[in-house]
Amino acid sequence: MRLVRVYRRSLGAHLRAVLEYQSDFWLLVTAGIVTQSLGFIFLSAVFARVPTLNGWRFEETVLIYALAGLAQAAVPLFADGAWLLGSLVHTGELDYRLVRPYPPVLQVTSHQIGFSGAGDAVGAGVLLVWALSRVEVHWTPVKVLLGLLILLGAVVIRIAITVATNAIAFWIPSPNPMFASAVFQIGELARYPLTIYGFGLRVVLTGLLPFAFTGFLPAAWLLDEGGAAWLGLATPVVAVLCALAAYAVFQRGLRRYESAGH
Amino acid sequence: MALVEAHHLTKTFRRPDKAPGLRGSLTHLVRRRFTTVRAVDRVDLSIEAGEAVAYVGPNGAGKSTTIKLLTGIVEPSSGRVRVAGRDPHRERTANARQIGVLFGQRTQLWWDLPVRESLALLRDMYDVPAATYRERLARFDAVLALDEIMPVVARRLSLGQRMRADLACALIHGPRVVYLDEPTIGLDIAVKDRVRQFLRELRADGTTLMLTTHDLGDIEDTCDRIVIIDHGRVIYDGTLEQVKDTYARQRNVHLQLAGDVALPDLAARFPAAAVHAGPNPGEFTVAFDKAALTVGQILAGVIPLAEVVEVRIDEPAIEDVIRKVYAGELILSPAPTPS
Amino acid sequence: MSVKAYARLAGTTVRATFAHRISIGLGTIGVIFQLVAMVALWTALLADGTRIGGYSLPEMKGYLLVGFATGIVGRGLGEHVMAERIRSGAVALDLVKPLDYQKMRFAEVLGGLVIELAVIVVVGAAFVALAGPVQAPVRPDLLLLSLVAVVPIKFLIIYLSTMLCFWTQNYHGLAWTRTALTQLLSGALVPLALLPGWLQTTAAVLPFAAITSTPALIYTGKATGTGALLLIGYQFLWAAGLWFLARLAWRTAVRQLTVHGG
Repeated sequence: MRLVRVYRRSLGAHLRAVLEYQSDFWLLVTAGIVTQSLGFIFLSAVFARVPTLNGWRFEETVLIYALAGLAQAAVPLFADGAWLLGSLVHTGELDYRLVRPYPPVLQVTSHQIGFSGAGDAVGAGVLLVWALSRVEVHWTPVKVLLGLLILLGAVVIRIAITVATNAIAFWIPSPNPMFASAVFQIGELARYPLTIYGFGLRVVLTGLLPFAFTGFLPAAWLLDEGGAAWLGLATPVVAVLCALAAYAVFQRGLRRYESAGH
Repeated sequence: MALVEAHHLTKTFRRPDKAPGLRGSLTHLVRRRFTTVRAVDRVDLSIEAGEAVAYVGPNGAGKSTTIKLLTGIVEPSSGRVRVAGRDPHRERTANARQIGVLFGQRTQLWWDLPVRESLALLRDMYDVPAATYRERLARFDAVLALDEIMPVVARRLSLGQRMRADLACALIHGPRVVYLDEPTIGLDIAVKDRVRQFLRELRADGTTLMLTTHDLGDIEDTCDRIVIIDHGRVIYDGTLEQVKDTYARQRNVHLQLAGDVALPDLAARFPAAAVHAGPNPGEFTVAFDKAALTVGQILAGVIPLAEVVEVRIDEPAIEDVIRKVYAGELILSPAPTPS
Repeated sequence: MSVKAYARLAGTTVRATFAHRISIGLGTIGVIFQLVAMVALWTALLADGTRIGGYSLPEMKGYLLVGFATGIVGRGLGEHVMAERIRSGAVALDLVKPLDYQKMRFAEVLGGLVIELAVIVVVGAAFVALAGPVQAPVRPDLLLLSLVAVVPIKFLIIYLSTMLCFWTQNYHGLAWTRTALTQLLSGALVPLALLPGWLQTTAAVLPFAAITSTPALIYTGKATGTGALLLIGYQFLWAAGLWFLARLAWRTAVRQLTVHGG
């Protein structure tokens, strides 16, 4: 589809431009790997003291963490431009994107590529493999296919939340993505067994900001563990809803856009 | 229906009305007051295919905002606008294919990419067929000398080079309507010439142009119609000739006469005009209203008096009219808009 | 530049922070969420009055409260503004002015501190009221001294990391890694005593511990008397060391500026 082809070209163009700065590339990739490792270190420190966390073992918790990390890695790799939305709105740089026959939201997200995502993917990938080798999963071909679909859903949810929260710039002008950063940080909380959180927090992370569907619920489904395991299967549906919601928010924001002086 | 139609187009902005300093900010928390700024106020505009319209006004008059309304970047507060029958804000994609836009103060080039790549990306977005693309680039190169800047990264372009590249970007897809917001701002005369030549070629192709500019040379060179806007309202809409004929009727004829001519004698010949003597003997200037006298009549009146050695006629410049409008000296009554 | 001029700069930041209050407020929500989640985690771990690493639940809550306070400090507009100025090259203008760039940024952070302190007080009070039994600080006077030392250290670490913008175009990827590193090695996630030995040694030679671990240990009474004073002395030593390191880094980074040109 033309939509995808242009998107790929846009990302590719930035890829080539950024690869000019070699130190930049390695710095970011390392940063991503380090970030994921730190989470693992934190978990192992906690589990050195306690055998389980609300019934979840170390390896199972790492599984949650790694799945969420993999989903998270996709955001800087494919939609990093979203973080610049506030700046584009603030300076009026969005104007040109609104007069081209290509969805403005996609132009914005493909505006930049973040290599920390590559590091995140490597780090989380390693952790995922490690965890999968140590947990009990009843593998069937159907399960593998569904698993991939759910992972894709998790990626879409993360991108959708990033776009929607950055779109707040249309209502609250600020060149810095402070709100989106805060929500991103909240998303980090969802990389642990949700059962440790109170009911209120669980509702927020499942219904309002569906981060639960990016790590915990998929893991629960994979392991057939816990009462909410079947919810993990709903991830692709939630993903579609999130994507639609994010698109709607962005479009609504465009109607408010006032550009900037000259 | 005209190609570009705007009816009672209005855009208002709400600006917080607060005193300066911290106290002002705090007070505004409690008592929120806003002023409404009418950037564009019930503008009616009708542009036929093939026209070239200059959109002129002092800084802050609402020119850029009008362009943003016409291109669909900003949603109108009230009124309607149609471009080739489409609402540019609501039918963004369809409208985008038929328009080209250039904002002189900002570039649409990808900052870290060579010009060639930016153009290629736009080609993909607009779905320009490869052969057409090459052909157009060749045409642009002839006027804009694109080849020399194609491999240069946007960040390293000079202003003149950047403007040339941006022009190519705006037109690579062959749009019917082109909006240009200050296309020659900051450019040296050589580049300005290129740009104007480019615009002339566009006109020859039948492209419709709308141009906002402070450079009156652009207007005289490219446009045949002028719309003057101030404080968001259209205060004049007519052809350049009409503007000059209506508001710039004063002509000056400078005469160099041989022989002894006394000023009062000359002046008596033309009671309807103002006659002044120049610094050197024999130099006179006759300032007259074009509607009241013709140059021929003046010469016919002078020749019996003395031999005419030299004649020089000053043409009115649109500048004079605009300057007077900006200074508020001239309150123009809108000419009937051709519909 | 006179002290009065710096004070004026600080005042400007207070106004600017206030002007962006909604955006910053939303950003603060992220930190508050973190606090809530950490308390939930530890409540799960320390249920039934157990102790881990010598920490009871009320003590742990006090610890996390300190972590919250030190997390808020220096978070304001400053970081993104600094990063953006370097990224866009606007910093070149700052170099031409006869002003001390580092001191100016510090003055701005002090300005932002005014509002941050207000936030800490408000949230702290709400926390104490709503979160069940929280231990009170053992030596408030030593605690205050320790917290004072945290301000320059926090500023300098953020300041140093913004300088990475001289080498990379993508700041938020790095900022995230710095946050993750800081959180783990400062003891904000887990008391350092609970980390594996090799990590404790690492943390001991890095400045991060001086941000949260030291004041938190003093708060909960795990560090007392001369031990506490030594730790505070170590904090001020880090503050001074980082100040000069930053000056050195600045000179190196400025040379890099010519590479970007444009």
